[in-house]
Amino acid sequence: MRDLLARLAVGAPVPVFPVAGGGTREALARLRLRPDVHLVDTPRHAIVLLVLGEFPPGEIAGLAAVHDMIPSPRVTVHWTPGGPRDDVPRSMRVDGDDTALVAALSRVAGEVLSGTRASEPPIRPDVDPVEWRGIGPYGHGGKGMTGGTPFGRPLAERAPDRDGLELDQLSVTVGPWLGALPPGLELGIKLQGDVIQEVEIHPPAVTLERPDGWVRALEVPVPVAELELDRARHHLVWLGEALRVHDLPALGQRTLRLAQGLTPGDRGEVERVLAEVRRTGIYRLALRGLGAVDPSQVGGLGPVARAAGLEDDARLDDPTYQELGFRPVSHRGADAADRWRQRIAEITQSLDLAGRAGDRTAFGDGVVEGPRGRITSDGILPGAVTVDLLPELLTGLEWGDAVAVVWSLDVDPTGVASRSSPEGAAA
Amino acid sequence: MAELGATLTVFLVAVVAIGVVRWVGDTLNPVQLTVPERVPFAGGFDPEFHAWSRFHIRWYSMALLFLAFDMEMVFMYPWAVVFVREGMISLVEMLMFILILVVGIVYTWRERGFEWS
Repeated sequence: MRDLLARLAVGAPVPVFPVAGGGTREALARLRLRPDVHLVDTPRHAIVLLVLGEFPPGEIAGLAAVHDMIPSPRVTVHWTPGGPRDDVPRSMRVDGDDTALVAALSRVAGEVLSGTRASEPPIRPDVDPVEWRGIGPYGHGGKGMTGGTPFGRPLAERAPDRDGLELDQLSVTVGPWLGALPPGLELGIKLQGDVIQEVEIHPPAVTLERPDGWVRALEVPVPVAELELDRARHHLVWLGEALRVHDLPALGQRTLRLAQGLTPGDRGEVERVLAEVRRTGIYRLALRGLGAVDPSQVGGLGPVARAAGLEDDARLDDPTYQELGFRPVSHRGADAADRWRQRIAEITQSLDLAGRAGDRTAFGDGVVEGPRGRITSDGILPGAVTVDLLPELLTGLEWGDAVAVVWSLDVDPTGVASRSSPEGAAA
Repeated sequence: MAELGATLTVFLVAVVAIGVVRWVGDTLNPVQLTVPERVPFAGGFDPEFHAWSRFHIRWYSMALLFLAFDMEMVFMYPWAVVFVREGMISLVEMLMFILILVVGIVYTWRERGFEWS
């Protein structure tokens, strides 16, 4: 019976939990499209722990805990598109492209399921953090029904809630590898029920994702068609991931598939998918009125600024774009729904510009309008400012709404790094 | 006596079924979860506090209202049976009953009990 189940498991798509560092946004999107790999949301569902991309020096935050949460049999695979890294514990390193990676994932999962490769032992000790068994009148570690450390953890603190009651407040660190948040984003939050009372941004667990094509455009003129296709692709990957988080995975997969090998000729198919996104009613049902930003705080933040009614776009000052008759799209609501509408409108606008641009080039004089906003030679990326908006926007929201707001801002967690260490900045 | 026999049979079948399900589970997965495997997943960090906390459930008035209308349906079944015999008087009585419940809805609405957050 166990052999039969093991054989069936070997034939199924490999459940992989990704710990995705910097520079892996598109690689992760491609991996989601592979039929023989299933990227799962929690380690509990995985067999393979995939560590990919770039991380700050030192231990990768939370990796040991994630590793040990994968039930046996488990195996770690390490793949870095940009170069090797030797300090991931107990991992098997894979070199090569996506195809080599997928082949390696299937192979090791098969080996570990069929028993030819031993499951990795846990990194952390198998002991309770606090002694609790047999303590207290019910043996649960507490005094009476509450008090003490029931089941090994102290009870939550108390604080006034929004209705003027004195109720429990739970402090919890979410991320950096929580499937509902962008990879690497780590938030310290205080919750009452599912209402967020306080948000603190922790240093990111991933290194800066260098938007190389855009940084190059700071110094030399770059073909408009190339830039605009890159922008459309960026927004499509964002849309695919955001749809997955909003529990529309099939539509998300279609969007991610469109982002692969995108050309201006794909506009018809792109518009069909975008029309379907509108038909889901997601603006009205899940996004309307959430996370409205103050327009004075979002200058230079590209789609976030334009969704708040600002005509803020570095392309307006570029002669090539002026020649193409470029006018920025904008919305007035400044909320999450308008940020979605804004990016979706910009996808078709970018495809249109890419189709008409021919071999014209643009930028090259120290300012570029990137997909997340204005990139300048001083090195601060728009992601840094977007992350700063989070504490104010998320406080008071329920958890599900907070996740929707985080995705609507297209947050780049590494923005924190670009702000705190000038040498880590892009340019 | 026959009833007792039937009850005992159901009890025995249930006990055997539980035993079989547990045996199959233990046979298929003999590995016990370790302490790190049992930790709730929040993205890579262990929770500092127990999640056993009291908070204000704001859908509480909505739940009470649901219960009231659920019970109203229970009263409507016998009412439907006697309605044919009693005629208009029973219709008026039921309308009064529903009206009292509707006052409850209006009150909850005024207290903003239907607003989720």
